[in-house]
Amino acid sequence: MTLDSKVPSGPLAEKWDSHKFASKLVNPANRRKHTVIIVGTGLAGASAASSLGELGYNVLSFCIQDSPRRAHSIAAQGGINAAKNYQNDGDSIYRLFYDTIKGGDYRAREANVYRLAQVSVNIIDQCVAQGVPFAREYGGQLDNRSFGGAQVSRTFYARGQTGQQLLLGAYQSMQRQVARGQVKQFPNREMLDLVLINGQARGIIVRNLVTGQLERYVADAVCLATGGYGTAYYLSTNAVGSNVTASWRAHKRGALFANPCFTQIHPTCIPVSGEDQSKLTLMSESLRNDGRVWVPKNTGDKRRAADIPESERDYYLERKYPSFGNLVPRDVASRNAKQVCDEGRGVGETGLAVYLDFKDAIQRLGHDVVAARYGNLFEMYEKITGEDPYTVPMRMYPAIHYAMGGLWVDYNLMSNVPGLHVLGEANFSDHGANRLGASALMQGLADGYFVIPYTLAHYIAGTKVEKVTTDHDAFKEAENSVQDRINKVLAVKGTKTPRELHRQLGRLLWDDVGMARNEAGLKKALATIPKLREEFWQNVAVPGDANNLNKNLEYAGRVADYLEFAELLALDALTRTESCGGHFREESQTPEGEAQRDDAHFSHVSAWEFQGVGKTPTLHKEPLVFEEVHPSQRSYK
Amino acid sequence: MKIHLKVWRQAGPTAHGQFVNYTAENVSPHMSFLEMLDVVNEGLIRKGQEAIAFDSDCREGICGTCGFMVSGIPHGPEPHTTVCQLHMRKFKDGDALTLEPWRSKGFPVLRDLIVDRSAFDRIIQAGGYTSVNTGGAQDANAILIGRDTAEAAMDSAACIGCGACVAACKNASAALFTSAKITHLSLLPQGQVERGTRVLNMVERMDMEGFGSCSNEGECEAVCPKGISLRNIATMNREYWKAILSS
Amino acid sequence: MRALRMLSSSVGTKVILAFTGLSLFGFLLVHLYGNLLAFLGPATYNEHAHALISNPLIIPAEIGLLALFLIHVFKATANYLNNRGARPDGYRMKKWAGGASRKSVGSSTMIWTGLATLLFVAVHLKTFKYGAVYTSVGAGGTEERDLYRLFVEVFQQPVWVISYVVSMILVGLHLRHGISSSMQSLGIMPDTRTALVLRTGLVLAVVIAGLFAILPVVVFFGLVR
Ligand SMILES: Cc1cc2nc3c(=O)[nH]c(=O)nc-3n(C[C@H](O)[C@H](O)[C@H](O)COP(=O)(O)OP(=O)(O)OC[C@H]3O[C@@H](n4cnc5c(N)ncnc54)[C@H](O)[C@@H]3O)c2cc1C
Ligand code: FES
Repeated sequence: MTLDSKVPSGPLAEKWDSHKFASKLVNPANRRKHTVIIVGTGLAGASAASSLGELGYNVLSFCIQDSPRRAHSIAAQGGINAAKNYQNDGDSIYRLFYDTIKGGDYRAREANVYRLAQVSVNIIDQCVAQGVPFAREYGGQLDNRSFGGAQVSRTFYARGQTGQQLLLGAYQSMQRQVARGQVKQFPNREMLDLVLINGQARGIIVRNLVTGQLERYVADAVCLATGGYGTAYYLSTNAVGSNVTASWRAHKRGALFANPCFTQIHPTCIPVSGEDQSKLTLMSESLRNDGRVWVPKNTGDKRRAADIPESERDYYLERKYPSFGNLVPRDVASRNAKQVCDEGRGVGETGLAVYLDFKDAIQRLGHDVVAARYGNLFEMYEKITGEDPYTVPMRMYPAIHYAMGGLWVDYNLMSNVPGLHVLGEANFSDHGANRLGASALMQGLADGYFVIPYTLAHYIAGTKVEKVTTDHDAFKEAENSVQDRINKVLAVKGTKTPRELHRQLGRLLWDDVGMARNEAGLKKALATIPKLREEFWQNVAVPGDANNLNKNLEYAGRVADYLEFAELLALDALTRTESCGGHFREESQTPEGEAQRDDAHFSHVSAWEFQGVGKTPTLHKEPLVFEEVHPSQRSYK
Repeated sequence: MKIHLKVWRQAGPTAHGQFVNYTAENVSPHMSFLEMLDVVNEGLIRKGQEAIAFDSDCREGICGTCGFMVSGIPHGPEPHTTVCQLHMRKFKDGDALTLEPWRSKGFPVLRDLIVDRSAFDRIIQAGGYTSVNTGGAQDANAILIGRDTAEAAMDSAACIGCGACVAACKNASAALFTSAKITHLSLLPQGQVERGTRVLNMVERMDMEGFGSCSNEGECEAVCPKGISLRNIATMNREYWKAILSS
Repeated sequence: MRALRMLSSSVGTKVILAFTGLSLFGFLLVHLYGNLLAFLGPATYNEHAHALISNPLIIPAEIGLLALFLIHVFKATANYLNNRGARPDGYRMKKWAGGASRKSVGSSTMIWTGLATLLFVAVHLKTFKYGAVYTSVGAGGTEERDLYRLFVEVFQQPVWVISYVVSMILVGLHLRHGISSSMQSLGIMPDTRTALVLRTGLVLAVVIAGLFAILPVVVFFGLVR
């Protein structure tokens, strides 16, 4: 199989325009004859549903939550990037493009990233028109902050609730189309299989999570916008319902999975406090603008923070990276935190935390300014930990946060399966090996509002699809296989809960396929995962039946998929013997301990083809060609 | 800590429900309320019994998925806190707690502590948006909005749609939810065009869904995890009669 | 037509309740003024009553008042029943939320204090408006109705005094929520001075109910005769 990225020719800045012009169109009167399935209602899915509905397609929209408004995107706090240059500080489409390519450690496709930067400006316009209440300056203009180590202020935000407001904007637009009859929404539905007819993606099988019934839906094309797989690690900042199921089942039907080992670890999360913890809470990256990160100089120093004198504190980020200091990119900050904790200098009960200290900021700016900037975050921190960050430094530790990897897509956001399009975090395309802060929201909305309306039209206009109904054999086959799997899970009647198994898998991945990876650990993970999977199928406990609302059954299904997916994750990490972005192989580092890329061997996308559970998947490589920027060693010194 | 729980169990929408007693042992004060329930559920599952059905997703107080009554108060006793953000350190060893689903004609019980809140989606469908299509929006800075106005709009827009307001209200009124969206959009220039029809249609829908009217008691504001103010309801009422007068 | 339908929506109903409620409150103030004239003696009191009764506008005003009253009662009852229907299956355990809540004994008994007031008004009209007609000669030499005598007579009896005082407490409770609540229902609650309005509503309720209640008491104890 050759992977054709379909990147248009011509100068970088003109590719998207010329591609749009070259794309086929669907006549407005004909659009209502075409049905599109969109799975997922996060920023990517909701924006796609509303835009395609407005254009006149029949859209069927699915999500696992009880309302589309609750998709995981709602939790994004910090903001959304756009190359508006409203601050006149030298931003431009090119700079956003450049920053994103560099931030991703030169593992993203140039043309996709450039397009992302181009449409970023339209996103802000669109959202403001919808009534998204972005922060404003006194004169009434939009306010910006600098975020995630960017040297320009290009991040738009709505308090600490940017994701919420953007999602509600998209959701409301989508509800308008629901009222107009253009979008039919199916909440409480979990996609459990993709249906292919003549090799084209033509439908899905979903389980109605309230009644337990399996349902079939047919369409001319299918879009997956089902988010990332961070919860493979059990503890992550993702919503607990996030899953890889939709992507994974599509993968099992032939869609390639690209760069699964590119996972992002966010440096500032509230540390784990106990065995029964179910998720980790992110504390916005913006805290590093004023907070100083430190640990004691001496190992095993168990004194209270206030009792450790200045001279015995190690502000290690400021020490090692004088020019970026506390604002180094996420991967660098995370790795350094792990390093100092591994050295035995971690703080708190578990020793797995570093301090993020606001004492100096409070002295310099005053309590009120700090409260105005971070008040809501401080409150949240206090709610969770019971400690007051105004007087005691916050304790922070990295946590799994985002999946750069995902289903492989071409420039049109179509996977290698004709008709199957993948949007948002579920695809692999734009962030390379590391995502910059405030870029995921941008990508989700870019895909949904401004890319898919054109590229999907091109597919529909240029493709002949057979007229079929859900009685087609392919639907029967898919539904039966889903039913079998559910029956199989219920039949085990073991004694271990899905949560226990998930927690076990998570710990394994965190230890061996986490922040720092090495060959021995990865091999160990690859040997252990199949055993865990076997244990699942021998001993999982799922009481109740399938014809009812059964949360534990849903959960078991997701864990089962993770137990298959995890192997691919580890294998990809093992195969990529370089370090890049969020993927750090201990064998590949510079003398100072920084990630060492190996462009000669790994300047490609690794796209894996499924061969069967427990069988080694086939690796396909899409070479990355850099025409505009020249990969260099990232340095934040 | 040990916590005694009296939990509403109801197998399905039409099934007969009843309270069942459970005890949560070894509860750590660091746990969130839902994690405490997770542990209770683990125990049930291991015994081959069906877990207590409750819903959650973000577990950080923003998605609005979680929510049930904790001893007579939606989301429990802690102000401005969803039940997923409520931590066990707020309780004492030996506490006895009663867990019930939201109860309202507009929110039929689906199972145990889970209710159907799709009525909220339909209220938004009735007009909780600005009718702009994708593409063709003018430059974002061409619409100037004063900082105070933007902040006030954001105050209203912060609603997470969890339904605690309905649950707390003696009339099971959805006025706080509905008015928050109406207020958010009525404050902004972008929302002016449809201002009148929006309030009329959304209120009509709210009534059709079977929610009651507002008695201005403000139990909703008191339990709202986001502290959405009763002011929104006053705004909705004003918008409403103004819309009638000008229609 | 549409406007009429909209007025019977949940919000429309509350707007009407607030409007009629505030109007009735206005009437109450006028009535109170009349009552307080009793402290100035029978002549002033009866003169004021006569001026009202003999005014040709009194009939339309009474009809209007009755209409406001009936609309208020009818709407409130319908609203109450509808609201009960919104939660067919009640909580087994329910607590007041406290904090920002404005819930009070007054707010949670509006329908009952309201219905009690309805009963009170009926009895009150029967006792006074349609009660014994005494006459006296007023300042201008015309014959007037001597309402003063009537009420002094009525309030010699402890049952009447007690039932009036109790009724006024109930009316007070109704006003305690009603005054500020109607501002909220009409959407004229000021954003920044909400607390002040709420407090003023409370003070007005106490003062007005108190002043109404005091008259029977002072009559009974012979302080006014
Ligand atoms: C705590 C937190 C803070 C963040 N902050 C920022 C930030 O400040 N800036 C930024 O740019 N990014 C941020 N991110 C990242 C960003 O929020 C996500 O990457 C982005 O929202 C993903 O959007 P999405 O539309 O691709 O998917 P999601 O929002 O994850 O939506 C997935 C959708 O798919 C549905 N779904 C999933 N599986 C199935 C299935 N099997 N069947 C049917 N439906 C399914 C779900 O119901 C949901 O509707 C943050 C992430 C987290 C966790
Ligand atoms: S689970 Fe999202 S608000 Fe509680």
